[in-house]
Amino acid sequence: MEEFMNPKMRDELAPPRRTPQVVASAAWHSLLWLVTANAIGVLIAILLLFPGLNQALGEWTYGRWVTVHMNLELYGWTSLPLAGFLFKVYGAGSGPTANWCRPVLWVWSAALGVGALSWLSGYSSGKLFLDWSGYARILFPAALVALWLLLVFTLVANWSYAENTAIATRAAKLMGLLILLLVPFLIYIASSPAIYPAVNPDTGGPTGASQLESSLAVVTILLLLPFGLTQRKAGYTRTIATGWIVLVAESLLCAALGRADISHHLPAQYLSLGSLLVWLPLTPAYYAAFNWHSNTRRWRMAFLWWWAALVVTGWVFFLPRVLDHFKFTDGLVGHSFIAMAGFTSSLLIFVMVQLLGEGGWIFNRTRSFYLWNGSVIAYVLLMTIAGWREGFDPSFTIVPGIFRNLLYVLRLLSGILMLLASLDWFVDASTLLREPGTDTGTADFAKEKTA
Amino acid sequence: MRHSDARFSGWQGVCLVAITYVYFLIFAQFAFLQRLASLGIADTELKAVMAAMACGGILFSLLTPRLKLWPSPNLRLGFGLGASGAAALLTLLPLGTAAAMAVAMLIGAGLGLLTVALVTHLLQFTGNRNPLFRVGLGTGIGYLFCNFPPLFTASPQTQATVAALLCLAGIFVVLQKTPQPVAETVMQGPRPASSFLRTLACFAALVWLDSAAFYIIQNTPALKAGTWQGSIHLWANGLLHFAAALISAWLLLRRRGLWLVLTAAFVALGGACLLLLDPQRALLASVFYPIGVSLYSVALVAYPSLIAPAASAAERGRQAGWIYAIAGWCGSAMGIGMGQNLGHVPPAFVLGAGAVVLLPVFFTVLRQRMRELALTTVVLLAAFSLDRILIAVKATPRSSQVERGRQMYISEGCINCHSQYVRPNSPDVLMWGPVESVQELRLQRPPLIGNRRQGPDLAEVGGRRSPLWLKAHFYNPPVVSGASIMPSYAFLFGDERGNDLVAYLNTLHSAGVAEHQLAERTWHPSPSSVAEANAGEGQRLVQRYCTTCHSATGHTRLTWQASFKRLPPDLSVGPFLYLPPSGPDAVRMDRLAQIVKFGIPGTDMPGHEYLPDNQIASISLRLSQLIAQPVRTQE
Repeated sequence: MEEFMNPKMRDELAPPRRTPQVVASAAWHSLLWLVTANAIGVLIAILLLFPGLNQALGEWTYGRWVTVHMNLELYGWTSLPLAGFLFKVYGAGSGPTANWCRPVLWVWSAALGVGALSWLSGYSSGKLFLDWSGYARILFPAALVALWLLLVFTLVANWSYAENTAIATRAAKLMGLLILLLVPFLIYIASSPAIYPAVNPDTGGPTGASQLESSLAVVTILLLLPFGLTQRKAGYTRTIATGWIVLVAESLLCAALGRADISHHLPAQYLSLGSLLVWLPLTPAYYAAFNWHSNTRRWRMAFLWWWAALVVTGWVFFLPRVLDHFKFTDGLVGHSFIAMAGFTSSLLIFVMVQLLGEGGWIFNRTRSFYLWNGSVIAYVLLMTIAGWREGFDPSFTIVPGIFRNLLYVLRLLSGILMLLASLDWFVDASTLLREPGTDTGTADFAKEKTA
Repeated sequence: MRHSDARFSGWQGVCLVAITYVYFLIFAQFAFLQRLASLGIADTELKAVMAAMACGGILFSLLTPRLKLWPSPNLRLGFGLGASGAAALLTLLPLGTAAAMAVAMLIGAGLGLLTVALVTHLLQFTGNRNPLFRVGLGTGIGYLFCNFPPLFTASPQTQATVAALLCLAGIFVVLQKTPQPVAETVMQGPRPASSFLRTLACFAALVWLDSAAFYIIQNTPALKAGTWQGSIHLWANGLLHFAAALISAWLLLRRRGLWLVLTAAFVALGGACLLLLDPQRALLASVFYPIGVSLYSVALVAYPSLIAPAASAAERGRQAGWIYAIAGWCGSAMGIGMGQNLGHVPPAFVLGAGAVVLLPVFFTVLRQRMRELALTTVVLLAAFSLDRILIAVKATPRSSQVERGRQMYISEGCINCHSQYVRPNSPDVLMWGPVESVQELRLQRPPLIGNRRQGPDLAEVGGRRSPLWLKAHFYNPPVVSGASIMPSYAFLFGDERGNDLVAYLNTLHSAGVAEHQLAERTWHPSPSSVAEANAGEGQRLVQRYCTTCHSATGHTRLTWQASFKRLPPDLSVGPFLYLPPSGPDAVRMDRLAQIVKFGIPGTDMPGHEYLPDNQIASISLRLSQLIAQPVRTQE
């Protein structure tokens, strides 16, 4: 039947026509932490320009705030949309577990709040991006377990629903639950100071193999996401298959590289990382093989462009001499900004717009779209310039001069603009939670199921 | 809500709100007190004068809605403005205590009449297009104007005159508007989530905090210097007030906006009061204070005039009267009393005020989000129990001073600015070497490589810096190390944490240090940088990096003089033990450059490894001019 429809009709039929309340709640929590983390980002940008202000902060000085900023971006803004995605995939917005979705989001946010206080109070594991220690190291995985239990109960309760009757669907969801069960334990274990990944002896950073490994994990997520979000278009089987075959091939290559402490100067390392360039044409083609809500167009394009920028700059920044020049400088801060504020953020927004359906308007205001993306581009350029100078002369940053301060003032301005854009989304998300017309609510979901 | 005049633009409302706030803030709360001080009225007499003002204010706040005289809103406002302006002008006279009390009573009465009449009929002056925004704008303009440096720093007489002139302008504004009967209906849109009494209690708590904080800042020179002295401070305060007022108006338009505003105002004001307990944090308090004040000030006008449900103008007036009498005048008097008697706002009082403002919100959330709170509590408690069990099961051995210092390094987030990795075959080696192997690195749990340098690499800092230098630097980085952007960590030395951290950093050196120091002795600044060395630039850099230790009045030298291994030689005196006593100038310059760049091992003299060659050469050139006659050498 689907094959006889024109693409526009299929586009309009695929996604939800109204906004699932639980997804809107996940978006709201996610945006709450984006706004908070961005506000802290503005604070630390100010502290870099006016270090004397640290005096007024008592013991909560710059170093502690940076930890809070990074972790809230990572475990708040970029992780909570996953909860919305899982609610959608497992159908948690309906049935007896529907009323427990929001409490689970509260638990997640409470864990982040406790985490923020613990980082500010000096509890830290010393592991960047896996900085959970003390009570928070138990609490955050516990929040993930709460989410997992909700999904388990949802699957059990919805086991006989039409959407779960196919054996493949049941198997995939069970497999998903098994993998998800590992996550809290992996986070707990990986936060241990005793575990540390492979080190590039020439930079102290990640090796080409470990970068390839983490990039392939992202690619796997990119390939899986559409299956949980929408339906395939007919006639694109080969495109989709190509994507998975290339992923398998690259995974084999990655496995062959091993996990030793190897320099980026070895051709095997940078050439294998270069194999990611194949995703420049593959990813857009892969995503064109699925039906997407018309509201997603803007952010789908944005995320694909940012993905292309990330893949290219990720490889270029790893090349010998380039990495030697930029390591430990603002240049790599700019690159990580492409990854987080550019690619990851636009991908997450795209996913949330798809999940929200008509409610995706909250991310589609022209002003906030250009404000965000324009500011990220400006930020990346500014940091690349700063990193370029710093690569020649470390005192460029250590002993601030007029040019460095000018760049940092402009960076502060771009940070403020990003904060404004995120505030815009947050305010609209708050409105969305209250809009009766866009809220299916649990009762409506139940009706749809019954029908 | 209906409006009587479609052509009405609403600017009159903005002006009247702004004028009322300016009069109250710059004259009644500020200039009048200074004027009384200049007239020699203090202590008990001052209290009597202020009591007279409060009596006038309370009396007329409560009486105004009940007055049968001047039923026209314009007349009431005109009389209020007239009385207020006249009172301001009267303060220009040489007043005795009794006369001052009479004038104070007139100020209170005028303000009571003006404020209650204004909020009762505010819609007539703001119009029904975005009245909340106009209240916010008027309040913001009022505060911004008061912080205008020439006005803020003017004499009390000038401020009183300005206040009187503004009242005159207000009368003109009022006369511009022909009184129109307005049908009183309840405003659509924002509604209070709770009762009038609860809102009244919140306003009273906020005004109390505000007045106490204001009085304490005004009467504590250290706090005053850190908050509202100097043009930049005043402009910043004014702009913060203005922005917060507009944000407050925007928030009030939203659902539960009133409680959001009151909660945010409490957080800001309560935070400011707590920060004021430590004069060193006055700067931060000066950010929170204006935000909190402006947030609630807009609500103080908007609530009785636009938000509180009222069936008639009379009811609106009565509500306004109670709010300004109880919250405004009594709250203010209590706050000033607290400031006078205690000199600070006790944390327990902030907690109490928080209970008044936040408990209703808390109970609302509790009622509406029972399931969320229950699950969150269960998970928090479960995680807490598990954490306790794990701590009990894992017997942690007592850690050494170095281990504790390493944990401090981690806790303070030093890793966010400092790497601990010297990249082989790179300029890192000369600056921060020697190189450590990955195997050595992996012995650390976890390795603290870092990924960004805002400061130097610290992998080998123990071989480059003495414990004294590290300690002095933690106390005051910009003084010890030129233009360092590192924050002060003096607070770590209030207990053992600072010494632990120094002990840890002191251990950061590997076996190859001696070999590396030999390599340093073979380093020379590039010939081009030596050729381009500039003594003027050198003098600037010497001033920045050297004189703090090598000058008789240097800050670091004076602070730590008893702790140096050997007191750093005064540049103009010597002796310079590590310079060759004679020989070609080029050789001495070369050695000077090496000392400037790498310091002197085994002493407290640090290097400046990250400075480029041209700066090192300029410093060396200037030093060679200053150190004309070395006395003797040890080398």
